[in-house]
Amino acid sequence: MLPASLTRQLTEIVGPDRVTEETAPFAVHGQAPALVITPAAVEDLSRAVAACYAARVPLVPWGGGTRQRWGRPIAAETFVVLRTTGLRSILMHEPDDLTISVEAGMTFAALDAALAGHNQMLPLDPPRPAQSTIGGLLASGADGPRRLAYGTSRDLLIGIRVVEATGRLSKAGGMVVKNVSGFDMMKLYLGSLGTLAIIVSANFKLIPRPRAAASVSCFFEPPERAFRLISALSASQLTPVAVEYREDGVAANIEARIEGLPAAVERHVRDLRRMAEEAGAGAVSLSAEGPVAVEQRWASFNDAPQTVDLAADELVARLSCLPGALETALGDARALAAQAGLPLRVQAHALSGVAYLRLRGGDEGLRAWHAAMLARWPHLVVIGAQPALAAELPVWGAALANLDLMRRIKQEFDPENLLNPGRYVV
Amino acid sequence: MNRTQLIEELRRIVGPTGVIADPVALMTYDADGCVMDTGEPQVVALPTSAEQVSGVVRLAARYGVPIVPRGAGTGLAGGATAIGGGIVVSTARMDRVLEIDARNGRVLCQPGVINWELSQLVKPYGYQFAPDPSSQKACTVGGNIANNAGGPHCLKYGTTSSHVLGVQMVLPDGSIIWTGDGNPAPVGYDLTGVITGSEGTIGLVTAAWLKLTRLPEAVRVVLALFPDIAGASASVSQVIASGFLPAALEIMDRLAIKAVNDMYKLGLPEQAGAALLIEVDGVDDGLDELLADITAVCWRNGALDVRPARTPAEQNQVWAARKNAFGAMGRLAPTYYLVDTVVPRTRLPYTMEQVGRISREYRLPIANVFHAGDGNLHPIILFDRRDRSQNQRALEAATGVMHVSIEQGGVISGEHGIGVEKQDYMTLLFSTDDLAAMAGLHQSFDPYDLFNPGKVFPKGRGCGELAALRKAGVAWSELKSR
Repeated sequence: MLPASLTRQLTEIVGPDRVTEETAPFAVHGQAPALVITPAAVEDLSRAVAACYAARVPLVPWGGGTRQRWGRPIAAETFVVLRTTGLRSILMHEPDDLTISVEAGMTFAALDAALAGHNQMLPLDPPRPAQSTIGGLLASGADGPRRLAYGTSRDLLIGIRVVEATGRLSKAGGMVVKNVSGFDMMKLYLGSLGTLAIIVSANFKLIPRPRAAASVSCFFEPPERAFRLISALSASQLTPVAVEYREDGVAANIEARIEGLPAAVERHVRDLRRMAEEAGAGAVSLSAEGPVAVEQRWASFNDAPQTVDLAADELVARLSCLPGALETALGDARALAAQAGLPLRVQAHALSGVAYLRLRGGDEGLRAWHAAMLARWPHLVVIGAQPALAAELPVWGAALANLDLMRRIKQEFDPENLLNPGRYVV
Repeated sequence: MNRTQLIEELRRIVGPTGVIADPVALMTYDADGCVMDTGEPQVVALPTSAEQVSGVVRLAARYGVPIVPRGAGTGLAGGATAIGGGIVVSTARMDRVLEIDARNGRVLCQPGVINWELSQLVKPYGYQFAPDPSSQKACTVGGNIANNAGGPHCLKYGTTSSHVLGVQMVLPDGSIIWTGDGNPAPVGYDLTGVITGSEGTIGLVTAAWLKLTRLPEAVRVVLALFPDIAGASASVSQVIASGFLPAALEIMDRLAIKAVNDMYKLGLPEQAGAALLIEVDGVDDGLDELLADITAVCWRNGALDVRPARTPAEQNQVWAARKNAFGAMGRLAPTYYLVDTVVPRTRLPYTMEQVGRISREYRLPIANVFHAGDGNLHPIILFDRRDRSQNQRALEAATGVMHVSIEQGGVISGEHGIGVEKQDYMTLLFSTDDLAAMAGLHQSFDPYDLFNPGKVFPKGRGCGELAALRKAGVAWSELKSR
């Protein structure tokens, strides 16, 4: 139960229409919050956080809610969900500077639409762009297929503003693409799952939209053959912006996305066809041509890691390894899934070493697969599972090094352990 | 402190040849590339392994003597200078490349490896180490990591932090940690990310897995000459807006052109007020058309001449002039003060005008060589250090540049770091709250201020004090107004 005085105080701060006690849709691993608040301004958000801090009530920051299946259950009986969706403005966009500053609650789709008008992009490729918020993407350390060419949020984030556990506002970085003025606090908050501070706005460096684009699809049966193409691409000087490997256990598909100058795109299509055929592809096709068509085709590939829609018997895991080890890792995942009789679907950033694995089956089978897989591949993170299973599995993978240091950081930034307590690694 | 005893114990840890205690030899360690600030260490240690570094750190903690990490000493912000004395720990003898993993595009090396040599070494594998500061023939990768170094090509490839996969670090308590090995989606707080750019204030990097970048199939370089900076800057914006991000976009102004002309016999017309260097790379297909487009943009913006450099020899000549421009300044004045600030790219023309005004105001010539694509300016204030008035005016001119940059929405350092040079200007950019958050991070690593104390944070607002204020929690705003 939330102290009535805190509810009153929070209502006063954010306004009565921005507080709700109908909290079921905001459950984390089946546990509903005591209250959900949606501040309309950064100052309100900061005061609300300060009020919760004073009452020692834990907070769960919430953007679009698309990644709330991540992590362990909240280590508290009572908590407040703090939505950032009331903060959704573009704070500054100077197109010629190729930089933008946006509030955390803005959805990725809204940002992308604003940038499209200026022929610019932020190539993070998140699943569910219409729901995913900028703050949520950063807190969960977003990457996507095009990280191969443009990097992840780690490479594109140039400034940040956060509300710390006590309600204090602080910023780091700036609105310039190169900056070593002070510590790189962006790296600290990025991917920390809201356990150190709540991101309220972020600045990005932008990329010009490409003049030309194409997508090439190559079919391989059995799946192992696809890795001949992956190796050849890895050793070449070609510069596809994304190479996704997709597999259903029987056959595999390599989809390569190419962006750039028209002549360079043509050259890539030509070379890719030849290389795929040499690797023994069953079929090769130009699956989309032109920036718009390519973007449409890739929406479903970007969506592969989504955990919003999760079947009752489904488990979604992210496996990461050195790119050169991906073939072996996926071979293990496939063999172990077959052993446990679980259907497996895979999509991987083939040249980066990140794979999303989706399995279906009973808890016992999923448990066995997970234990065997984790024993071989320590960086195996469960990002989607039914609450009981998520509570029981070591969702963040094998034991981490440097936990002491991470605990000191957590202690320094959230001394009362009020931000997403228990959810992340410390 | 008993210095003799400290030296004796150091010798036991790193061996007799790994300790420099001779007063004359120590003088070479009294500054880095920032000659405005000096400070002599009690002793210099040259360890060869993480274990030795750990031993030195434990010893320093016991004696209460600061550790000042040092690479090649090419830094321009005093980051490697023992301002309050201490043990300078040089990485000069930790200079081995330990493993080249071409399959995964990564390399494991010690911090004393020289940037340029690393790129040469991985070239036969078809790779480069992308960060390329102008000092790359001397500076070390350890220093690059400490300062999150940039360079012309980071316009396309990103600064050092995008190229560090994980580090081995000796922490202030002497423990040795590894923060990563190149796993693309690591779990836990991003220690690698916060260590990069921390200027040696939270530990000493003793090895690193670095990311390698494929050498491009083809490169084209254009040198365009303009009557003034404005035409060159407008071309920069239009080239970028046309939907292609070049690998580098560099500008030199009239004075810089004169200096490199004299030294490298480039034969650039003296009436040129700005030289714009544009490099594009990628697969060969399309690059010539792109070159033609870029050339047209330059002509449209009033270029006096546009010279494409197609052969590697021509390209090297152009780049040599750019990268050695700072050295060529010796032809113009006995001393120079290189200022490093950043503004949003569109503010460059106005900012450059202001730099011109500052030059007139303080009666000191200022040459400009800068990363125009990033908005990273490098006014080079020319003066004679022996003249006290000029010395003072040079410092004031630099402060003027910082003020203008911040006013234009910029920051006080793009790639050189804060060190001691700019520590007192941090408050122009950051609130006490912002600095306190940084201090919190610092304290998590180095609670007793053992590493490079008195740097980065403004004087009189040391880490300890900021962190203590921070712990005051919600009462913060009241505390501040007291």
